[in-house]
Amino acid sequence: MATCTVSGVRLAGIASAVPDRVQTLASHAAVFGEADVRKISDSIGVKSRQIAFDGMCTSDICFAAADRLLNDLAWPRESVDALIFVSQTPDYVLPATSCCLQERLRLSTRCAAFDVGLGCSGHIYGLWIASSLLVGGGARRVVLLTGDTSSYICSPLDRSVALLFGDAGTATALEADGSASPMAFVLGTDGSGRDALIVPAGRYRNPHTAETATRIAEDNGSSRSAEDLFMDGAEIFAFTLREVPALIQAVLQGAGWNIDEVDAFVFHQANQFMLQHLARRLKLPKDKLILAMEEFGNTGSASVPLAMSARLAPRLRTEALRSVLAGFGVGYSWGAVALTCGPMVMPDVVKVSGEMVGAVSPEGR
Amino acid sequence: MMTKREFLSELEEILEADPGSLKGNEPLNGLEGWDSLAVVSLIAMVDEQLDMTLSPKKIAKAGSVADIIGLLGDKIAP
Repeated sequence: MATCTVSGVRLAGIASAVPDRVQTLASHAAVFGEADVRKISDSIGVKSRQIAFDGMCTSDICFAAADRLLNDLAWPRESVDALIFVSQTPDYVLPATSCCLQERLRLSTRCAAFDVGLGCSGHIYGLWIASSLLVGGGARRVVLLTGDTSSYICSPLDRSVALLFGDAGTATALEADGSASPMAFVLGTDGSGRDALIVPAGRYRNPHTAETATRIAEDNGSSRSAEDLFMDGAEIFAFTLREVPALIQAVLQGAGWNIDEVDAFVFHQANQFMLQHLARRLKLPKDKLILAMEEFGNTGSASVPLAMSARLAPRLRTEALRSVLAGFGVGYSWGAVALTCGPMVMPDVVKVSGEMVGAVSPEGR
Repeated sequence: MMTKREFLSELEEILEADPGSLKGNEPLNGLEGWDSLAVVSLIAMVDEQLDMTLSPKKIAKAGSVADIIGLLGDKIAP
């Protein structure tokens, strides 16, 4: 599939939420040493992240974002036709977390709900799926939830991941609107990158054993088990250089835009070094590359909407912005969309306290 | 295209080594500063300056600075 253009879909709003618990990179100095922490922090552009409370799931954070968004939009709960939950840290092996959230958000039992197992590319794929449901699937209103609690799958002793990932959850509301401007999507997959970003054991290909759960030290001192996230930074960087510049060129061409016509480039917040390198290669004007890593880290499929909430909300509440959103990484999977969004409902980033675990919307919404 | 000396200067910067300290034959696993961040910085530098994507697998197989230079082929003037 090359470019896919969707017309008749409007983004009504975006809300992002993070656990109300800060963890600074400095707090890892005891494990990795101050010098290493500073070097890594400077490279990835992260100073702190928001980390889930014990027992808090991605669903709780997404719930907070969705509940806030639906209230701010004044959308009656029964008007939501479909609910999509994009995450690689669902509540259970089964049932789908979106089913649980249908109940918690008091959506209609006539709502179609399902999960999508993607990470870095997840928000773009989610927008594409939601748009397709609105154009061809008989839906009039769709809520897309994206997020991860990656902190649960990272070994705190692994310097390549322990300092990078943060937790977050977001909600994007989309609706059918004949007057909306078109969106151009480009999507792709390369499964040969499977081993570059993987939790190797714990499900069915490599079931859990005492051995898979045992952390083993590497040459550089980092320590992880087969049930912890493994990330090969160099391979992922090389993949990004191979695919992403061409991806952005393709989506701009699909939209018929040239680079100077774009108001904001919001890329998956993988790491600052990589984003700045991409911006240089693509010759993006510096102020148009959106960065939100310093206080959130890499939040997986939440990172694009979270960056929009944290950095573009004041503008998106009142203006229409030509935006290029792109997500790329785990899979390998990638996608980009060129769209004009705003004005739309954009609450400030929601902070989720420990009491919100398992929360349910009050009756009568 | 760059000269071998220019490449060594770029590598010195990545490794935070003193300018002129690299001779070009050093084994990599003894080189101070040669870590995963340095590998990523090297890939970025080669991409930007030589418009070439180095393979991480080939970098991992390289034993010395000379081996790395070998990966760049005719992009390095002698």
